[in-house]
Amino acid sequence: MSDVIFSNQLTEKEKYEHFLKRIKEGEKIEADDWMPDEYRFTLIKLISMHGISEIMGALPEKEWVPKAPSLKRKLGIMAKVQDEMGHGQLLLRVAEDLMKPLGKTREDILEDLFSGRLKFHNVFHMEAPTWGDAGLIGWLVDGAAIISQTNMLNASYGPYARALKRICAEEVFHAQHGEAIIMALAEGTKEQREMVQEAVNRWWEALLMFFGPADASTTGTSKQDITIKYRIRTKTNEELRQDFFSKYIPRVLSLGLTLPDETLHFDKEQALWVYKQPDWNRFKEIIKNNGPKSKDRLELRKMAYIENQWVREALNMAK
Amino acid sequence: MGSEGFYQEFEVFSKRSDTSPLQYQFSLLAPNSEIALIMAQENFMRREPVADIWVVKRSDIRKMNMEEKQTLQRLDNKEYRNTKGYGYLKKKWRQYEQGMLDEKEILSWGEEKKSENG
Repeated sequence: MSDVIFSNQLTEKEKYEHFLKRIKEGEKIEADDWMPDEYRFTLIKLISMHGISEIMGALPEKEWVPKAPSLKRKLGIMAKVQDEMGHGQLLLRVAEDLMKPLGKTREDILEDLFSGRLKFHNVFHMEAPTWGDAGLIGWLVDGAAIISQTNMLNASYGPYARALKRICAEEVFHAQHGEAIIMALAEGTKEQREMVQEAVNRWWEALLMFFGPADASTTGTSKQDITIKYRIRTKTNEELRQDFFSKYIPRVLSLGLTLPDETLHFDKEQALWVYKQPDWNRFKEIIKNNGPKSKDRLELRKMAYIENQWVREALNMAK
Repeated sequence: MGSEGFYQEFEVFSKRSDTSPLQYQFSLLAPNSEIALIMAQENFMRREPVADIWVVKRSDIRKMNMEEKQTLQRLDNKEYRNTKGYGYLKKKWRQYEQGMLDEKEILSWGEEKKSENG
């Protein structure tokens, strides 16, 4: 009790041990607290990627705002797109506070995105050609996002955990918004049912890739061990993928839809879903911004940034 | 710090209703306090009810550092400050055939009267 620890009197090793003790005891680390570089850099990478993916993720969906089939659907998808942008704002703030001691700002995040140094999530490089895709993104892509984000709700880094609480609460609306679209199509005409089935077929591989490879052998690196060590997350990529299967495969099948993997089944002995691996070489290409829509979406983001430069300049002059 | 660039850091607080306490929401970047206020509403209050919003420039806030936060820990010897330290009175009043006017009872006096017999 009351043994106040003055961090300026501690050696680096003692600081590190004190830090590990804090996170082990469930304390939250705040932006101004001492933290090891490895923790800071891991968080910056994770959260700036998460934040920018929220913003890039709004792009395939926003394509559907002008084409939504009814006013109610248009309002629904507009609200969702706005939420995604809001999530991006929250997460970028968390990343920016972590980057501040390094002298980096939001401009650096955007520059890194445009230059390809900062990746956006592999799932947002895909096409969304039909209204079925718009529904499927809400239902299953947001469903997958809920699985991976709830896994970090108790993250040791306080600002991230707090941002995720707000985000997950809204993701529930997103998932139900997507479910409502899918349900209406699945109960609709033959063409509508085919539209959903085609969207499922198109997105299945991307949904498998969503959680990332099971280990570092695929891409040469993996941050899973570090994020688990520092109590940022608890489950591995594969555990999350299995959770996703357990929650969503029965629901997909219950609507009379099929999944494009004839080997897919639940193995009772291993208590695991057995499935055909996605093409991880394709995954590697996608995360290098060589996916079907990578370049288009980056161009769109860049154009918005450049074309609105005058607004920032005008406001800056007015200060 | 933060005043030289385009973006400035603001901390956002809001009240859910006129009687609720001000609650911290999150931070945001904005070029000035007017836009900060608009963004605060758009970023954090798209759904839940809200009665008031404050935005404060982060550089105007004096926060506690890690050491200072540790000085907030209390020793567990402050019973005399709380009703807990006077709990024995309940038994005493019973000897005088009177009920204890405890916190629950006293705070209920401000409420609208429901019935006489309670």
